Amino acid sequence: MKLSKIVNECQLEKIVFCTDCEIENGYCGDLMSDVMAHAEAECIWITIQAHKNSIAVALIKDIKSIVFTNNVTVEKEVIEKAEEEKINLLRTDKDSFTVCGEIYCLMEAETAKD
Amino acid sequence: MNANYSKEKLTLVNELIYQIKVKEAMSKKVIFFKENATFREIQLKLKEKKISGVPILDKERNIIGIVSIDDVITAFDKGYVDSKITDYMSRDVITIPQNFSVVSAINRLEKFKVGRLPVTESLNSKKIVGIITLSDILNRLLVVVQSIAEKVEDKEIKNTQISHDLIKRVERKPLRFEVKGDDFDSAGRVASITKKYFQNLGISKDIIRRIAIVCYEAEMNICLHSLGGSMIIEVNRNNAVIYAHDKGPGIPDVKLALKPGFTTASEKIRALGFGAGMGLPNIKRYADKLEIKSSLKTGTELKAIINLGVKNEIK
Repeated sequence: MKLSKIVNECQLEKIVFCTDCEIENGYCGDLMSDVMAHAEAECIWITIQAHKNSIAVALIKDIKSIVFTNNVTVEKEVIEKAEEEKINLLRTDKDSFTVCGEIYCLMEAETAKD
Repeated sequence: MNANYSKEKLTLVNELIYQIKVKEAMSKKVIFFKENATFREIQLKLKEKKISGVPILDKERNIIGIVSIDDVITAFDKGYVDSKITDYMSRDVITIPQNFSVVSAINRLEKFKVGRLPVTESLNSKKIVGIITLSDILNRLLVVVQSIAEKVEDKEIKNTQISHDLIKRVERKPLRFEVKGDDFDSAGRVASITKKYFQNLGISKDIIRRIAIVCYEAEMNICLHSLGGSMIIEVNRNNAVIYAHDKGPGIPDVKLALKPGFTTASEKIRALGFGAGMGLPNIKRYADKLEIKSSLKTGTELKAIINLGVKNEIK
């Protein structure tokens, strides 16, 4: 599914949007080591951790899109780093549980169509 | 298969029908008759060989005519089926020289609405060296396409193989990094640089992911839990070896530290998403070999080895 569809359907705020990549799976986690160990490449990562290390983890894991939940503050330097590394940053005031549910339903509907 | 498609778009097949010569595609075994044959003889042969026409050749194998299944039917119809073919066969035969491209053969087959073309030795010769039909051309095309596909596959396999030359060159030049304690801003730097470095060596994605995870966790351990240290990443023919040394304070119980979930991290560190007690367990999980020596006096030495060639998928 195109990232833009997720952004529109879930009404996510675009902080950095560089490539409308294809999203096939997702991961939700706030512990860096857990994300390092379990997230798949090219997935959409839902987290409350909006600091520079999140970008580092995304970079190492080939994650191209991160959704920050609970309307967390995203520092300027995080945005700059994401722009530099071409990582999409999205934000929402909803919590991780709700956003995961919404994205999950969208993806399920998409698979059912196929 | 229309050669005219090439005007719109030059596809692989379009290109190939220009490249393949009639000689390569034709059947060399030609079933033919001499002038003194009867229509009935030919009819039996056509039936036996399941073909729809035969060329008529003289003693020197020069073409003098052709008899098709249509001619045989007409002969039955008009009642001269037991006569010799000499007076009835078509002498105006469409042929093709063997050094022409199959595209000309296709054009002639279409233009003259015939099913087969006797192939001549050369443009000015009438000597027959073969016979070509659309299905001969298709067969040859499939063979050529198949061999192209195999070459592409071989190339892909080569591309995913480790570049041994490159590895030889970097063997004696390990990567060295200083890692500061409590420096969150540059955390992840070692893993990113190492990852790019291994990508250039042509190592498979899964192995690189494992190397990156081990580097990241080792780097974060120095950053989160020590007074600072250094990392060395070495490459040799079969392995990537990741060394992480720190200046202390050392791990009192290494066995306990390897237990998933065990952590000594502060609240501040944990709020950032670190210190979940998964660092060392992650390293242990993704490295093929792990050695940890720790002393409360000199600090911790970690050595993790990852085999480069072994296809060990990340679960």
